[in-house]
Amino acid sequence: MIVENTQTQMRKGILEYCILSIIAKGETYASDIIAELKKAQLLVVEGTLYPLLTRLKNNGLLTYNWVESTSGPPRKYYVLADEGRKVLEQLDITWRELEFAVRTAIGDRNPPNQQETDNNE
Amino acid sequence: MNKTIIININGIVFHIEEDAYEILKNYMTDVKRHFLNSADSLEITGDIENRIAEMFSEILTNENKQVIVEQDVRNIIDQMGRVEDFDEVYDDEKSAPNNAYNYNTGERKLFRDPDNHLVSGVCAGIANYFDIDPIWIRLAFALSFFFAGSGLILYIILWIVIPKALTRADRMAMQGEKLNLQGFKNNLEEELSSVRNHLNNLQQEAKPLAYKLRDFIGDVVHHLGLFFNGAGKILIKLLGIIVLISFFAMAIALVVALVAFLGFGEGRYNHMFPFTIIADEHASRIYIVAFLSAFIPVLFIILLLIRAIFNTRSLNMSIGTTFLVVWILALVMFITYAVKASANFKDGGSISQTINLKAAPGNVYYLKFNDVKYLSHDDSLRLNVKGQFNNMTIENDDDENTEPQNVTLHVERSDIKQPELVETFRARGRDDEDALLNARNTKYIFIQQDSVLKFDDMLRRTADDAWHGEELELTLKLPLNAKAIIDQQLQDRLRLDGVNVYDCKESNKQDNATSAVFIMTDDGLQCKIDTVVIKKTPAQIDSTRNANNAKAIAKLQAQVDSARRVDSLQKHK
Repeated sequence: MIVENTQTQMRKGILEYCILSIIAKGETYASDIIAELKKAQLLVVEGTLYPLLTRLKNNGLLTYNWVESTSGPPRKYYVLADEGRKVLEQLDITWRELEFAVRTAIGDRNPPNQQETDNNE
Repeated sequence: MNKTIIININGIVFHIEEDAYEILKNYMTDVKRHFLNSADSLEITGDIENRIAEMFSEILTNENKQVIVEQDVRNIIDQMGRVEDFDEVYDDEKSAPNNAYNYNTGERKLFRDPDNHLVSGVCAGIANYFDIDPIWIRLAFALSFFFAGSGLILYIILWIVIPKALTRADRMAMQGEKLNLQGFKNNLEEELSSVRNHLNNLQQEAKPLAYKLRDFIGDVVHHLGLFFNGAGKILIKLLGIIVLISFFAMAIALVVALVAFLGFGEGRYNHMFPFTIIADEHASRIYIVAFLSAFIPVLFIILLLIRAIFNTRSLNMSIGTTFLVVWILALVMFITYAVKASANFKDGGSISQTINLKAAPGNVYYLKFNDVKYLSHDDSLRLNVKGQFNNMTIENDDDENTEPQNVTLHVERSDIKQPELVETFRARGRDDEDALLNARNTKYIFIQQDSVLKFDDMLRRTADDAWHGEELELTLKLPLNAKAIIDQQLQDRLRLDGVNVYDCKESNKQDNATSAVFIMTDDGLQCKIDTVVIKKTPAQIDSTRNANNAKAIAKLQAQVDSARRVDSLQKHK
């Protein structure tokens, strides 16, 4: 249970950072975000993404535009808001600090654990 | 071949198979419930629905088909993730203290238990919390319902306040580890504050409250549905089966009645009312149509009940139509016969005849009931003459009681010295002539044996024909001052007009007597009230009687006594 919670905590912060990073590349659709996250092995189910996006949007980090789709319903395309851009810049700095901190703390232990490498990404 | 349902997601229409729809619906219900505590629930679920719609569109275009099947829905749910998988990431503000708490203690928390619920899982949750069998909590709640419903209110409050264990973590926290005393105290404080927070949230935030209420109402409806699907359905089915059994019994009774009437019952029930008017030549046809017009509706109800209870299609269209046609035909025939039978009652007719009676010695008449069973007319007459009070007589059996009481007896004052009996036969028929004929085709047995007048209680038809409302009115005319000693049995069997033997007996305080004494006065027949007997004790009666011997009334009294003695002697034989 303790392990699970730590993982959750770790992944949660990183997930938001990654989502913001993906969206920062340009106007992005939810399924594109998921595709990227899946590639990064950070997220496996789509359902988790929507609450996160909504929360980021409500915090003013994101906005979205409705775009008509050729097949299916209109899509929400997310873009980074100004606030989001600022937050992302701060997070970039924080991440660099964290990366250094973790690397230093682990030292040359070089853990084989997949979970840990995930977090180090 | 499968049934499809048309659904609409964000304005796009999809055809989806029924079982696939069920899965999707349950999934979306779970999703909605999961995000209920969030203020953004509508937006999140909207996004998810939208995405599902998009995936449906993709599937339909890619696979070039028209209908969403179960496997498609399963694939989409796998992609979206189960509700349980959502939790790990989306435990935002709330999760931090919870997790910290979990690090430290691993103690149990109060949740509604959705796995072990009877209604909403409140009792099971409480039982989990205290690690006891839920039955005790349920019992306590059930008992407390009777204290002005206080338990019910408490239950509903708990239902609203205690969160449902949705996630795996919730469930683990709910089951927890065994509580020690210290842990229990901490936990309780923790819980109380959490409940307080919960209530505060309810008060402060209108939106979550609305969601809560929606959840609560949804929950209530959901559980009511479960109840009626389960226990309620069983109760209703049991009730239905009981009704079904009673209708089966009715159907069987109808069949038995039909067989009885057609087979061997005819003669036996001829005397009872509805059957007496049925002419014999039509009898079996009437029985059959009457049976059909009663049996088919009963059968129909049985089939309907079977269909309702066991959810089967027990009646196909053509059989149903046939039944309906047969029933209407039977009903029409039955009504026709009924009209025909009633036509036989259209006109009335009557004939009278007067029988001169012999004057009885001492002007005393004994009016008795002729309790002889007539085997045949000749036989009975012969038997009657021979053995009125002997063992040879055969008493009327009780079956005859079912005959309509169609003999009325009046006792009137005669203008002449001679007593006489006027017999007025009445009957009905389809016309006057027929009515008269019917009236004539009857026979009544009246016998005079000196001072004893014997009346039968039956008017007999000489022709073995249907009953046409035959009636007999007997008018017995007795001379002035004649004494009539009327048997109690006569009152029981005939319609006695203007005379009541029981009342008279009571007035004379002779409740054990089998007859009462009446005297013909100018105003008709009056009960003779024996003032002497009432006033004096039995020991004094003789002396009083001797003293009053000169009086005419006492003379009569003596005759009465002797008559009684004779009467009782005959009885003792």
